Amino acid sequence: MVFRKGVLIGVAVLAVLAVAALFAAGMVLSAQSGKRPTVGSPAPDFVMPLYEGYRAGFPETIRLADLRGKVVVLNFWASWCVECVKETDALEAVWREYKDRGLIVLGVDHLDTEAAARKYLADFGVTFPNGIDLQQQVSRAYRITGVPETFFIDKQGVVRKVVIQALSRAELIAEIEPLLAE
Amino acid sequence: MYSAGHLLVLLGVWLVLCSAPAAAQTPNPLLDDRVHDLAKQMNCPTCAGRNLADCPTDTCKQWKDEIRAQLEAGKSDQEVLAYFQARFGPTVMQEPPKEGALLVVWAVPIAATAFLIGVGVWAVQRASARKPAGASSASSPDPSGDPYLAALEEQVRQ
Repeated sequence: MVFRKGVLIGVAVLAVLAVAALFAAGMVLSAQSGKRPTVGSPAPDFVMPLYEGYRAGFPETIRLADLRGKVVVLNFWASWCVECVKETDALEAVWREYKDRGLIVLGVDHLDTEAAARKYLADFGVTFPNGIDLQQQVSRAYRITGVPETFFIDKQGVVRKVVIQALSRAELIAEIEPLLAE
Repeated sequence: MYSAGHLLVLLGVWLVLCSAPAAAQTPNPLLDDRVHDLAKQMNCPTCAGRNLADCPTDTCKQWKDEIRAQLEAGKSDQEVLAYFQARFGPTVMQEPPKEGALLVVWAVPIAATAFLIGVGVWAVQRASARKPAGASSASSPDPSGDPYLAALEEQVRQ
């Protein structure tokens, strides 16, 4: 009887400890990930290494905070992403059209191998800056739900719109023009 | 009429044409096994909880191609795993790394198991410590359980 009671207590304690451990681990991981930025909140700052050949005049790494005063279209993509294919040409088009007016289109390559990413960028003739989401730090900071996902960030570094789908050139321009005019 | 030289040239061309695709597709079971073994240790980046080795998505195919390319380039298994962890983070691994905040995932179950074993040992010791105390009044209990025989043995002992 005593033995059985001891075992029951042990199992109960074990179960409580296991749940507490999972909860603690979840809290730690959640804290590392941060909150998903909403419209009107400051865009989380980050430093990201850029792919060689896709730096558009920037140094090896780019810091979001250094882009204050510019409108930033932060686009999460991947070479394996079927939907991303639909918007890459449009992103490139608006980059070429608006880069001299204070627009930065910044690609964040998410969960991609370098060879596949480079082939994708070359195939689409991309020239806007593109970086590697090392250890998923940027995607975690922005808590993205998948790719493609695009954050429109104004000149003060505030998130003004989040779009979770492929964007057309017209849709991009509709978001960019008012932000550039501010 | 074809001369022997012509025939040799034709044979050579035929052999080259046949062997080129075969060489490109030469199976390499050892390399396949290494790719599979490494992929087994990693997660699919897009399907929650799914093993990289068993996942047929394009993403996982890319990752497995990358593993193969790195092994073919002469990298060791550990170097390949280190590359993927450095690029994509520790969550690419099936087993969480035994460091940092994730150490708690390993430490708590081990501590809890040790605690459970401790409780078990304590309970067994306590139970066995009580038995002799109860049995001290009858140092040689009658195995048949007959109360008459037990009483008789007690009287004889006295």
